[in-house]
Amino acid sequence: MLVRWLIPVGVGAASVAQVAHATQYLTVEQAQRAAFPDATAFETVRAKFDASALGVPAGWAPRVWQARAGERVLGTFFADAVIGKSEAIDYSLALDTNGTVIALEVLQYRESHGSEVRMAPWRKQFLGKTARDPVALNQDIKNISGATLSCRHLTEGVQRLLKLHASALAKG
Amino acid sequence: MAVFRRARPLLGTLVEMRVEGMGEISALCALDAAFAEVAQIHRLMSFHEGGSDLARVHRARAGTSVRVDARTREVLACALRVAEASGGVFDPTVAFEQVARGNLPRPESPFDPDPKASWRDIELSGDAVILRKPLWIDLGGIAKGYAVDRATEVLVDAGATQVCVNAGGDLRIAGARAETVHVRDAHGRVEAVVELADAALASSSSATTGAAAHLHGVNRRALGGGITVSVAALDCMLADALTKTVLACGRACSGLFEEFGADACVHDARSGWRMLGEAA
Repeated sequence: MLVRWLIPVGVGAASVAQVAHATQYLTVEQAQRAAFPDATAFETVRAKFDASALGVPAGWAPRVWQARAGERVLGTFFADAVIGKSEAIDYSLALDTNGTVIALEVLQYRESHGSEVRMAPWRKQFLGKTARDPVALNQDIKNISGATLSCRHLTEGVQRLLKLHASALAKG
Repeated sequence: MAVFRRARPLLGTLVEMRVEGMGEISALCALDAAFAEVAQIHRLMSFHEGGSDLARVHRARAGTSVRVDARTREVLACALRVAEASGGVFDPTVAFEQVARGNLPRPESPFDPDPKASWRDIELSGDAVILRKPLWIDLGGIAKGYAVDRATEVLVDAGATQVCVNAGGDLRIAGARAETVHVRDAHGRVEAVVELADAALASSSSATTGAAAHLHGVNRRALGGGITVSVAALDCMLADALTKTVLACGRACSGLFEEFGADACVHDARSGWRMLGEAA
């Protein structure tokens, strides 16, 4: 076990170093292949639904594919995004033909803290670092402890997709 | 060697895992197995779900022996160890007060807890749990850390040379390379930077206003004061449990940190930053 406290950051300095965190975990294609390794094709499905009847926000438009192996239908794949107070999560959901969840993966996670546009995220990575610290993208500084993230929005998103599947897609 | 990262919503937060030093197929299989382990720990130790080990313990009459999974037993044993060492400041039986405050749902149990019951009324015997008085156990303050530890072990056993498992800020790093971790407050500000190799870090904050998430185990008062604490320890379960003792008694529990070989970094508005434990 090695533990080295580099900076117990002073109160004054703390507000300076605000780090926006963004991680890409999987592309849509990678998540599709992982969920349906036997699929030979992913066909785009145009999901028609009445937003108010489903109780989903107007303008909600998840991307939907049908996974196939030749003529055989393997299941449904969704890619959607949820936006919380300080984060945006792109995620995918794969269901088999019975509507059972095969896979739920976060594709990309981005934080904003309301300052995403104004400040370049990469610059903020280097704040508070000293010259002797190795700065390697993707492997340094990406670990974050502290304020616990809530997955409430993501859970709600999954519930919306399951509802959409049950009402609009399962029949067709 | 490639780096593989995955994140899934589990334990009420985002659980992120990263492995290095493995080929793609073995990495993806290992990550799947590690996420499955986290999900299983959640099922076993959930306070809410009727099928969990805890739910079965809560439904049983006091004095009855209830068999539990070895993992549940391990977490209970650690909870009791920290409870004893902290003189009951950390106490998983505060679930009763948490239910009364509306922070936890009432479990399905025909028995109301004895208001005088404490961690001392939980007995572990072999693979069984016996409650000497009716009480409710909440492992929320510790099981997340345990899930992080187990997932890390799954990934290391599968051959990963560098691993990071992070469950919403409770994290463990395994491997030879030291990694940097930013400790942040609820507003995303960086509060501290710590470098870790083969170690765990857990962070917790007490409320400044509104509903308090944590209670003092002895007087059962809500922990307030807007304190942020990060604990570094050998494993994440211990780090997770120790964050709650620091929130409850601050510097007074520095002896505890020596005993467990842990460090803590504590911040509050009045005193600013302080170190506790070995690094102090």
